[in-house]
Amino acid sequence: MNISYNWLKDLIDIELSPAEVGEMLTRVGLAVEGIHPHGDDFVFDIDLTSNRPDCLSHLGVARELGVITASSLTERTETTAQVPLPAVLAGEIVTIEDADLCHRFTARIIKNVEIGPSPKWLIDRLEAIGERSINNVADITNYVMHELGQPMHSFDLDKLAGGRIIVRRAKADEEITTLDEVERKLDDTMLAICDEVRPAAIAGIMGGLESSITDETVNVLLEVAYFKRENIRSTSRKLNLSTEASYRFERGVDLENLVRASTRATQMICEIAGGEAGDLIDLYPTPEIANTVESIDISRAVKRLTGLEVESNKCLRILTSLGIDPRYEDEDPDKQVKYFAAPSWRHDIAIEVDLVEEIARHSGYENIGTELPPAYGAGEYQATEPRHKLFRQSLVDLGFDEAISYSFIDTKHDETIEVVPSFVGRELVTLADSVIEGAVRMRPTLLPGLLAAIRANFNQQRKGLRLFEIGKAFAAGESEGALPYERDLIALVMTGGDMLQGRAIAERDVDFYDAKGAVQAALEAAGVEPAAFSVADVRHLRKGQTADISIAGKLIGYMGRLSDDISAGYKFKQPIYVAEFDLQDALDVAQLLPIYHPLPKFPGITRDVSFVVKREFLYASIGETLAVHLNESFRGVSFVDIYEGKGLEPDERSLTIRLEYRRDDRTLTESEVDALHKDILEHLARSLSIQPRV
Amino acid sequence: MSDERDKVEAVRTAFAEEFAGYANLSLDSSSLSDVESLLRGLGELKIKHTGKRSEIAATMKLIGRVSPEERGAFGQMVQSVEKEIVNSIETAESKLNRYISNAKIERDRLDVTLPGRRPRTGHLHLITILRQKIEDIFVSMGYSIENDREIETDYYNFDALNIPEGHPARESQDTFYTTDGFALRSQTSTVQIRAMERRGVPIRIIAPGKVFRRDTPDMTHVPMFHQIEGLCVDKGITMAHLKGTVTEWLQRLFGEDTVTRFRPSYFPFTEPSAEFDFSCFKCHGTGKFGSDRCRPCKGSGWIELGGSGMVHPNVLRAVGVDPSEYSGFAFGFGLERMCAMMYALDDIRLMFDNDVRFLEQFR
Repeated sequence: MNISYNWLKDLIDIELSPAEVGEMLTRVGLAVEGIHPHGDDFVFDIDLTSNRPDCLSHLGVARELGVITASSLTERTETTAQVPLPAVLAGEIVTIEDADLCHRFTARIIKNVEIGPSPKWLIDRLEAIGERSINNVADITNYVMHELGQPMHSFDLDKLAGGRIIVRRAKADEEITTLDEVERKLDDTMLAICDEVRPAAIAGIMGGLESSITDETVNVLLEVAYFKRENIRSTSRKLNLSTEASYRFERGVDLENLVRASTRATQMICEIAGGEAGDLIDLYPTPEIANTVESIDISRAVKRLTGLEVESNKCLRILTSLGIDPRYEDEDPDKQVKYFAAPSWRHDIAIEVDLVEEIARHSGYENIGTELPPAYGAGEYQATEPRHKLFRQSLVDLGFDEAISYSFIDTKHDETIEVVPSFVGRELVTLADSVIEGAVRMRPTLLPGLLAAIRANFNQQRKGLRLFEIGKAFAAGESEGALPYERDLIALVMTGGDMLQGRAIAERDVDFYDAKGAVQAALEAAGVEPAAFSVADVRHLRKGQTADISIAGKLIGYMGRLSDDISAGYKFKQPIYVAEFDLQDALDVAQLLPIYHPLPKFPGITRDVSFVVKREFLYASIGETLAVHLNESFRGVSFVDIYEGKGLEPDERSLTIRLEYRRDDRTLTESEVDALHKDILEHLARSLSIQPRV
Repeated sequence: MSDERDKVEAVRTAFAEEFAGYANLSLDSSSLSDVESLLRGLGELKIKHTGKRSEIAATMKLIGRVSPEERGAFGQMVQSVEKEIVNSIETAESKLNRYISNAKIERDRLDVTLPGRRPRTGHLHLITILRQKIEDIFVSMGYSIENDREIETDYYNFDALNIPEGHPARESQDTFYTTDGFALRSQTSTVQIRAMERRGVPIRIIAPGKVFRRDTPDMTHVPMFHQIEGLCVDKGITMAHLKGTVTEWLQRLFGEDTVTRFRPSYFPFTEPSAEFDFSCFKCHGTGKFGSDRCRPCKGSGWIELGGSGMVHPNVLRAVGVDPSEYSGFAFGFGLERMCAMMYALDDIRLMFDNDVRFLEQFR
């Protein structure tokens, strides 16, 4: 909001520089964001908080300044009391049909005005605060609004059918063309200022074009009213029409300021545009009762909440100068104050803490102490945070960069990406609308965000990428009306070369096993028991390079190579490996404590064996088969190498494994190992029909 | 005796002939393999001309044939010839070995300025880095970290926070709604309510998390961002404790000389309310960096960070806490905004583009 320095000085006697005024206002909460010179004037750009509509005018700002500087306001804009037209006569000109939406309505007829340009001083004032001059009458109503905070509207009386005003709800589908030359359709919740036939203005928002002041206007009807705040807000939203007037009405204007504003404007019109003013019409069907705030000991309340020591007298002085008046019991000033009455312009003063804030800001927040609260118990992280941290750090050590993507994604991914097991069978969450085209789906999967990131990075010629994201995914609640289901998921993507720091070209390309290794390493770092990987079929992954991920027998997610279809959709020309699983499921499993195994005292003997196996053969089946044969001599099996190609049929692979034989009590002899090894090979031949290569 | 001398002379001559190629070796620009084959040849010579089976050793057996009075002189002669042979071979050998060793060192010379073999390590997101730093500070100050729902009911997002229906902050144009009528939380203050319902009072928590506002992405707006909310409720908590706490954590993050400034403001869930600023970490409040205008604070010396205030009595009542018995403060600020100022980012959307060239700049 723009406030003119010179204009302020019309309203209050101050001897302060613009910079001093700016500092003072900021200190009490009227944040001056800038002071800009304008001719011989200075304009304050004030960022006003929404609870202070009373400061949306020069009078309001002057009032605050008056409290700060203990200066009094001038009487320049004060007007003498008016005797309104008796209600019976007034009713012939103005009728309020819907008093629930129009608390007070004043009108004045000014005859024989001469519409023309405004005098230079008026144009200058308006221009200083960024307002455009239209004509003398329109400028005066605008001027008085910026001076006293009260929006008003002038009608061409002769264009009002029947020469009168009816304040009523619009009829459904009633139409009006507003001053901005837009035809608008009203509904029966909206308040309209009508003539005998049709709406002439949308109450509190904008006047109609037809009844507006033109160069030919001779007789003016000046409306200064107060409308129900919530109704103005809802009408303004419905019509998507916000104006200086609606902005003020919906936040609340000063109900007791109407007559003063009307009189000020009338006097200015008569002075500047000529004309004779008629009697004041003042219909006030719905009086508003000022807020009364109970406060037994305001000084103590200030001390309790702010730590400030402000004596009762000083508290009273601040409040009184803000127009917040103490109500003495039995009108006896010697008795303790128990209640304070908020002035008609302060809709925001309702309870004792509101008074505390007034006293605190006028005492200066800088005078409040700076101390730590008394010591308290120990702080704590979220129970899962240490494991999250280990998990994250492990991925970072493995070369993954952490991504954060928007939680809303396009619905097109519903059909392409298979959600993790904890989301299977759940309805999805949809946004009523979005600010990013198409992105109305609250993500049930983190993969679309990471795939978009891959595409964006490919476009920047970054082809070796490792990204992960940890974040919430969403699905609908269990039952109608239940809050949505939220789970922490982890997704990672991996593609391109196995990058070394500072080297331009990778030594090799990553494959499925790199991605699997990353998942295993991160889980192990977080102390999760080893995950099991089994052959799977998942919609967005390529058949034959897809695995289920399970922990402690529970399926928690999937990993594998992105399907050709999806890759083609993104125009990816290199293999992309992805994994996604429910991180809560993974970390729900109790953290593993390492178990100490005594160090071997006697050397072990290993035997490497190669088998020719079919491509469907699973390495894991060897471990499963031999698990029951593990004993004090046969210690286990590990993977050595897999080979395919020359010398083998296309559907065959050569698999080399290592078997370890070792005892804890003595060294095994060669012949003992030969016998054990023969046994093991026989088990494998019997159970899996595989024979060592010769 | 002269016969025996002649034989010794003959051995010497024979050796000298065979050794001629090594006598005045010039190895300049010889290849390593040539020198290695020279060394092998020399090895053969050594075997032939030294040791028990060599010819010079055989001449020692002639000593018995020499008259006793000449034996001493003959022995000396044989020894001197043997010594001469051994010395010659050893000298040549060590010359060759030195040459070979130097050549090998040369051959194995590395460019030590090439990059080390080091897997590229990844990077935490800037938001995670800052969040963890701030969490660490608050945990050490006795605060617990709270984490909660991102999709909320209007009750938690608005009503319980003293934002009744019809309040401007409640306008749906700022808040995302699901088709079921739930709100994407528009501030982490929702966690104040959930945490107090769960833990009761007294309470000290901070709640980091994502929040959502219906802003179309541009250089200074994003529809999703991160906030950290702080809440402390106990008997006797005042605004001085708020100022002390905010100042303390900012000093721990940005240095002891950091000062804070509180300005009156308005938030529905606090009363009195204040916005807080801190002296710029870069220019230390001077507004100037060298002779240039300081970038993070735009020359003002202050960085506007967040909102705060004393918890509104209606908020305490909403969770069944008696505001005449307990009081508390709350504060909140945006992490993206803070990052943008700390790193002078001119486009806040970079935070969610996941461009690796951006991500890898932070650790």
